[in-house]
Amino acid sequence: MPDSRARTAAALTRVDTVSRKPPEAERDRALFANFFTRELTTRYLGSATGLAWAVLHPLALLGVYHFVFTTVFRAGNFDGKSFLVFVAVALWPWLAAQEALVRATVSLGGYAALIRKVAFPHEIIVYASVGATLALQFAGYLVVLVALKAFGEPVRFEGLLLAVPLWIVLAIAVMGLALLLSALQVFIRDVEHVLMPLLMITMYLTPILYPLTLVPENVRPWVAANPFGWLVARLRDALLDGRLSLQWTDAVALAVALALFCAGRWVFRRLSPHFEDFL
Amino acid sequence: MAAPLLKVDNVGKDYAKVEERGGRVRLVFDLLAGRSAARVFRALDQVSFELQRGESLGVIGENGAGKSTLLKIVSGVIEPTRGSVAVGGRVGALLELGSGFHPDYTGLANIDLAAALLGLTPREIEAKRDEIIAFADIGEHIHDPIKHYSSGMVVRLGFAIATALAPDVLVTDEVLAVGDESFQKKCIAWMERYLAGGGTLLLCSHGMYHVQKLCRSALWLRDGRVERYGDTAEVTQAYLAFHEEKSARAKDPVAPSVAAAAGIYAIQSLELSPGPDVAQGEELNLAGEVYSPDGRPPNVLIGIVRADGTPIYGVATDMDGVAPRRIAADRFAFALTLPRVELLPGKYFARVHALDPEGVRLFDNVERAFVVTGATREMGLVRLAHRWGDRPGTKGDDGAH
Repeated sequence: MPDSRARTAAALTRVDTVSRKPPEAERDRALFANFFTRELTTRYLGSATGLAWAVLHPLALLGVYHFVFTTVFRAGNFDGKSFLVFVAVALWPWLAAQEALVRATVSLGGYAALIRKVAFPHEIIVYASVGATLALQFAGYLVVLVALKAFGEPVRFEGLLLAVPLWIVLAIAVMGLALLLSALQVFIRDVEHVLMPLLMITMYLTPILYPLTLVPENVRPWVAANPFGWLVARLRDALLDGRLSLQWTDAVALAVALALFCAGRWVFRRLSPHFEDFL
Repeated sequence: MAAPLLKVDNVGKDYAKVEERGGRVRLVFDLLAGRSAARVFRALDQVSFELQRGESLGVIGENGAGKSTLLKIVSGVIEPTRGSVAVGGRVGALLELGSGFHPDYTGLANIDLAAALLGLTPREIEAKRDEIIAFADIGEHIHDPIKHYSSGMVVRLGFAIATALAPDVLVTDEVLAVGDESFQKKCIAWMERYLAGGGTLLLCSHGMYHVQKLCRSALWLRDGRVERYGDTAEVTQAYLAFHEEKSARAKDPVAPSVAAAAGIYAIQSLELSPGPDVAQGEELNLAGEVYSPDGRPPNVLIGIVRADGTPIYGVATDMDGVAPRRIAADRFAFALTLPRVELLPGKYFARVHALDPEGVRLFDNVERAFVVTGATREMGLVRLAHRWGDRPGTKGDDGAH
């Protein structure tokens, strides 16, 4: 044993004579992979119930909404669709965005030990957090779509040709917001407490649980102006009606998402040099 | 001369100070607008030095002098507010405990993380992993999350990682003080080999020992500025001298007004006779006055320590059942005679402490240096009464005259 240890020590003394700075992009990719895997394994796959929760939570919500809206309120007009499929198509992306934002907002705190002592681009943490949540929720979305189809609901899978790009637009926007919120959270601890109720209110103001056509004419333009409402409508177009044609609003949405991302990243990069002092 | 491996040029670092409510919101706006914070604490200012490949620099200074900030700037964790840092190679940093560790990751996962942070490919990580595990030598704990580690184990793993990844510059601080002695020896041995093999070291330490042993030059930081920079022996001596002077100043009697305001028992004066020099075996007298805030007679504790702080003997008035003599409503006099000072020649301190009458709370501490003169080849601190003989207990000449 002492022999092997001596040999190890000898091996350790070798010092690279050539100065070798790692290519930044390669390092950042390796870090993203490391953080992303960790987010997935420890938060969802680590515990037996973790993964189940990721799917059960939206399913349970869907069930409760179904009971409240169709049995208690006896609402019947969902643009000619069944309540389940009408809501499921929209609820999943909303919950995915919501969870991604909530988790990302507090994500930097979990890496405080690293941020205080190692030099690396802090935004990778946010990308990994949002990426892991959205990837998992998108997988759940596909499972639910397949399940709905199996129960005879009119899901059109060709709609994914549009739905997938729509999710990507959503992801870009959520990344931007997440960068903004997570950076602010480091300095202002109230962000996470304000976020949840704000998201709750936004959800009810978005035509997720009801069709836009049920909204009274005089406030309809306001509700329709909600970008998430637009996304939900486009997803229903694609997945329930099979309408795949592009609209001018798609380009606007992409532009808005990119603008959000750039703004969020600008704020993040302005504030990130000071994280070390405030985490 | 080749370009320096590390060049720190006129570096300064300000930290934002936010105390009042709403200050953080304003700070965020200031930072977004590209302004500096309204109120700042200047942690570092005008720090410059260069490090050639194969050189070693020790950074010394008191707590809060900016050592950690400087090391963080060199390792890229924080950006300097002013000035620039240029590094021509890979910096391996081992800062504080659990440097760059994620507390929830296992030891193994942290090895992978550290490697990813340094941009190693999975294949390179694979090659290094066994070396690191062997050097850290923490057994099965390598599979436990870091947060369950003892501080010694964290340091072992941290050091193993920082060294195995073959940095061009190794930046490290106090961590060496944490591991157990055998691991410390292993680390020092590694560092000596690393330096002998052309490695470059930036070491930050309170302990002059490590700096003197490992570093060719030293930089003394004081309140964020470079107080002195140069040859290790010269800088560390200046630093130690500064501290001796500072502690000597602190040991003078507290002014009566201060003692009264603070309501503490305080030594007011201390005189040594015959003087600061006393011949070995002669009489030494210690006398002085002590202030009592409530007029009750305080306890006086007198101790003799060697110049390096090693305690030799201490005795208090209440141990011997005596009390200082009242000379005024709130002042008492004391005097202690040591008829034969059998200390070996050298420098010593007489320390006098004021305690409350119960002998429980220690309030004050005044110190006077004295030198025991004489010529002898005896070793140690004191001359113990002794005699030589040819078997145990024989009556012979008393060796101590």
